[in-house]
Amino acid sequence: MKTELKHFPHESAVSHVTGEAKYVSDIQLHDNLLWGQAYFSPIAHALIKKYDLSEALQTEGVVDILDFRRIPGINQLNAFTHDEFCLAEDKVTFIGQVIFLIAAKDRETAIEASKKIKIDFEEQEAILTIEDAMAVGNKLSPTRSITTGNPDVAIETAKFHIQGSLTTGAQEHWYLETQSAVCVPGENRNMTVYASSQNPTETQNVVAEVLGLQSNQVICEVKRMGGGFGGKETQANPIAAWAALLADATGQPVLMQLSRDEDQKITGKRHPFLSYYEAGFDENGIISAYNVDLHANAGSSFDLSIPILERAMFHADNSYFIENMRVTGTMWKTNQPSNTAFRGFGGPQGMAVIENVIDRIARFLGKDASEIRFNNFYQIHSRNVTHYGQTVKNNKLQRLWNELIKSSDYYKRRKEIELFNQKSHFLKKGLALTPLKFGISFTTAFLNQAGALVLVYKDGSVMVNHGGTEMGQGLHTKILHIAAREFGLTMDRITISPTNTSKVPNTSPTAASSGTDLNGMAVKDAIRTIKNRLKPLAYKMLSAKDDSINDGPLIFRDNFIYLKSSPEIKLSFSDLIRQAHIAQISLSATGYYGTPDIFFDREKGKGKPFHYYAFGMAVSEVEVDILTGNTRLIQTDILHDAGKSIHPEIDKGQIMGGFIQGVGWCTTEVVRYDKKGNLLNCSPDTYKIPGIGDFPVRYKADLLKNANNPNAIHQSKAIGEPPFMLAFSVWMAIKDAISSVANHTKEPDFSLPATKEVVLKSISNLI
Amino acid sequence: MNSNSISFILDNEVFTIDWSKSLFPPSTTVLQFLRSIPKHTGTKEGCAEGDCGACTVVLAELAPTNDKLIYKAVDACLLFLPALHGKQLITIENLANKTPLSTELHPVQQAIVDNHASQCGYCTPGIAMSIFGLYKSEKKPERKDIIDSLAGNLCRCTGYGSIIDAAKVACKTIEQDQFSSNESKIIDALKTINESKDAIELTGKNQIYLIPFSLKQALNFRKIYPDAIIVNGSTDIAVRQNKTSEFHQQILDISFVNELKQIASQKNNFHIGAGCSLEDFKQFVHTQFFEFSPIVDHFASLQIRHVATIGGNICNASPIGDLIPMLFALNAQVKIVSSDNERIIYLEDFITGYRSINLNNNELTFEIIIPEKDNNSFYFAEKISTRRDLDISTLSIATKLKLSPQGIIEEIKLVYGGLAAKVKRAGSCEEFLIGKHFTSQNLIEASKLISNDFTPISDARSTSEYRLEVAGNLLLKCFYSIRVRMDKKIVL
Repeated sequence: MKTELKHFPHESAVSHVTGEAKYVSDIQLHDNLLWGQAYFSPIAHALIKKYDLSEALQTEGVVDILDFRRIPGINQLNAFTHDEFCLAEDKVTFIGQVIFLIAAKDRETAIEASKKIKIDFEEQEAILTIEDAMAVGNKLSPTRSITTGNPDVAIETAKFHIQGSLTTGAQEHWYLETQSAVCVPGENRNMTVYASSQNPTETQNVVAEVLGLQSNQVICEVKRMGGGFGGKETQANPIAAWAALLADATGQPVLMQLSRDEDQKITGKRHPFLSYYEAGFDENGIISAYNVDLHANAGSSFDLSIPILERAMFHADNSYFIENMRVTGTMWKTNQPSNTAFRGFGGPQGMAVIENVIDRIARFLGKDASEIRFNNFYQIHSRNVTHYGQTVKNNKLQRLWNELIKSSDYYKRRKEIELFNQKSHFLKKGLALTPLKFGISFTTAFLNQAGALVLVYKDGSVMVNHGGTEMGQGLHTKILHIAAREFGLTMDRITISPTNTSKVPNTSPTAASSGTDLNGMAVKDAIRTIKNRLKPLAYKMLSAKDDSINDGPLIFRDNFIYLKSSPEIKLSFSDLIRQAHIAQISLSATGYYGTPDIFFDREKGKGKPFHYYAFGMAVSEVEVDILTGNTRLIQTDILHDAGKSIHPEIDKGQIMGGFIQGVGWCTTEVVRYDKKGNLLNCSPDTYKIPGIGDFPVRYKADLLKNANNPNAIHQSKAIGEPPFMLAFSVWMAIKDAISSVANHTKEPDFSLPATKEVVLKSISNLI
Repeated sequence: MNSNSISFILDNEVFTIDWSKSLFPPSTTVLQFLRSIPKHTGTKEGCAEGDCGACTVVLAELAPTNDKLIYKAVDACLLFLPALHGKQLITIENLANKTPLSTELHPVQQAIVDNHASQCGYCTPGIAMSIFGLYKSEKKPERKDIIDSLAGNLCRCTGYGSIIDAAKVACKTIEQDQFSSNESKIIDALKTINESKDAIELTGKNQIYLIPFSLKQALNFRKIYPDAIIVNGSTDIAVRQNKTSEFHQQILDISFVNELKQIASQKNNFHIGAGCSLEDFKQFVHTQFFEFSPIVDHFASLQIRHVATIGGNICNASPIGDLIPMLFALNAQVKIVSSDNERIIYLEDFITGYRSINLNNNELTFEIIIPEKDNNSFYFAEKISTRRDLDISTLSIATKLKLSPQGIIEEIKLVYGGLAAKVKRAGSCEEFLIGKHFTSQNLIEASKLISNDFTPISDARSTSEYRLEVAGNLLLKCFYSIRVRMDKKIVL
């Protein structure tokens, strides 16, 4: 058996294709499994005057209905900020807020009962948009600011100057598996939670808190998620808490799963932003000063809004060195469901503004935008410190630009497109190159830690437990590769267990693209401990085979152990383990990793919040129908820095998937509300994520070669979020096509997403 | 066979559901059914409205010749259980060749694994079933066929490129699989089930579900149960049942009536049976009225087109209408029958308002009559939607134009969907253009009149301003599209 790493499929691929892979709602328990149904507020802001559950309770098949008074523990869903009620008490602050919980024999019965609940509201004025919140000064927390140099003076003295504003839209996660949980009550009110959560520890904590239990009385297990993308970092907790309350109250296991429409209506989305900017620059387009004020709609509570705002502020520079810069960030509190983490975590919103600014500068100067981008890139030895004081090390921007400009035939295609646009009446083409630089680490420094528990059984097989969760990103597959390499075992000897809080405690969420970096290191640490325990025995057993053997580096490879100096004399891993057990050597170990040397001083706005940076670049070509505003992606070329990839196929899958998800955000994914705050696009009928027909006919993505990353496990690089931002190439290419109708002499109105409607309006204003 | 039961094949065995014993209503969806029985949770619910395809299963049914099976991917969430009668239901659990100790993946499954085409895996069973449907269609698919087969499957993880690759690899060489070797056995079993053509009346929990096998039986049921809601593919009613708990106590399912599925050409007219599937109608449009391909090619998904029907589409009388604008442009008529009468009326008169039609409760829509193509006329259609595939139109247009040898517009139909309570012609624009030269200037002038004809609404799909502006612009697109074709004609 050889250790061919490159093409080993996703560890669950066979289960996926046979339908055997189990998700929360596939768990088939015994007959007494109840369905849990939430009763949602239909009003964005109201006082609850009175309610009557009696008729609903009489529905045949209903077992119990809970209000907030029935919560045995604390009526809160956010373990840190305690600003989200688990069940509404005397008022509701967003549409979809849960007021009651129903346990019934099945969904139909529960829905029937929910219609019989009588409740009186007294409607209050609702704050729905950023502008609404600004008008009444409804900040979630004080405005924050990061400044470098002297931007106000630099703007005054700059040769040229632009200013404007940009809106970027919300985005629904649209994980295929909606929020769900199964809770099974045990002895002494203990609870086992089968969750679809990126954050099993927090799910465990929240469940313990609402039940009034200690953490050691709640176990949370996550086998896999049917997609997460940040939408299950905090927002998988409520459904687990609700199901747990019902299971605790009824003494029966409870399944809760949101319908698609419920999920779209009540869960948070990517934060929509409204940003104001001004920039000063010279005739080469080099930006000397940049002021940007980022405003975002947080929704009704904190959730993760502050770290999201922080990441948006950290990424307001994208890949560009700006000597004088001030970025401010304000989160506005509104009567919307609390917006939350979504791939990129504010980064895309911060970056969109500077990308649009650079594009404007290029048009202002009549130059190619890719060159203006190049002129502003962070440099290697100077001009390499960010606005928050971190030095950009191992910068790949120039390399990526040079290689991609060539491999995508950028200049040739630029000319062809010019010719095409001169001749074509209604179809216009556009082309754009955009870069990305993305900081890797949780900006909340303490979260950068992970634990593992590695178990070696006496037959020589290995089970790896770690704190990360599998949501399709291939974390378990990468961990399998890491464990196989560290132990020198073939992958068939190793399994990855479901993530379980009773195996590894106090884990951080699987988020911030950090899953492999953190958990891989923890697994490596555990394996090193076990190997160190085994080494003396291995020497002993090897010298028994040949007494000339006594010292030297031991090699673990292909299920055998041998000395580097005499590879022909070897010991099988299973023999070693069998003997180790007899020799009373412990065959399990925990591992731990905490990212060293990261800090950020929020007062001063300076520090080193990131362990390292990931880089990527894309060139996209689009076609725009100027009579309808329809757009079509024709070609994309990507070059991405994934370090020394642990699994190139999985990394390429993350690039393609992240990119297309970004294309959705930039083009077709529209979130509209009515005046009362009802979400109009609350089902896939009107909320359009990309379909297979939107994949470009020509697509090429390469990993940057010779890009070993000294800062992470096996010299790899985090891959989860960065590729999302490659989609700016599509957004900017659409703007380029629009701009061609006025021969690139006028600045088009533009926003994100560039829907057919935005495009058509922009074109109409140019003609 | 008990007339209160249906039979189909699942896991290679005949599966009978008898409603004198069953606890769930007949209009339970196939998805709900599968997820309630052991070992069939591979079929997933992603949206319960036919928009994501996570519940895709494949139905194998006897070809009209009775000697082979036709495999069709369908959305299990939109299919009522009785629709399975006399068919083989193939789920994701059936694809691999399994023995207690080993699993031999189907080539489709193997290709997905080899091409890293699954990430979270939740959409994967549906994706696999759609590719399996394509595999069993036994044609070597081009890229567009792959896109067409998978446009009804959403995936939020992969970005689709790896799925396209997997489909290509899987269908590169189509070999005998376990289904082909088992086919004769299945055919025999299905023949036995299908032997009886006695109408079935399922009486379940609070619901009567009627299955006629002939037009006569259907009209008879219509007389006895005039209030029964008529379903054919159930792709619309099922959505309402899933999402709004709308429940019908009487359902008349006419999908087993073969007389309604014919497409024939007689005396300068095409006769399209009301029960003709949208996929069959699409093929018809490709051969007879290719100019309307933009409408049928991007209409719903293959899963939906396999079961949804042209009759269902027109009787829904949606303001958007999908096929209705092109049928207006083609001057289509509707033949309506009852047990003692029949009548033919223009489709424009059949659709009376917002979701309302001219049909009495003893009648059925029998067929749509479309005049043969007028080779001296020009046709044009365009559908505007947020996403190209599986997206209801924001608006759409279908036009017919006849010019005199001097280039004067003699006849014109400008039909719009999505701009009013029902599909409607742009009367002022038509009136302005008739008798005028077919020039871009005249079309531009006409487009300015569009606001006389329509006051569209703003909704989740777009604003009224956008709809109006594009409605006007589409006249210009129409002009250039036809101009290009005319020039080609001249060259030829």
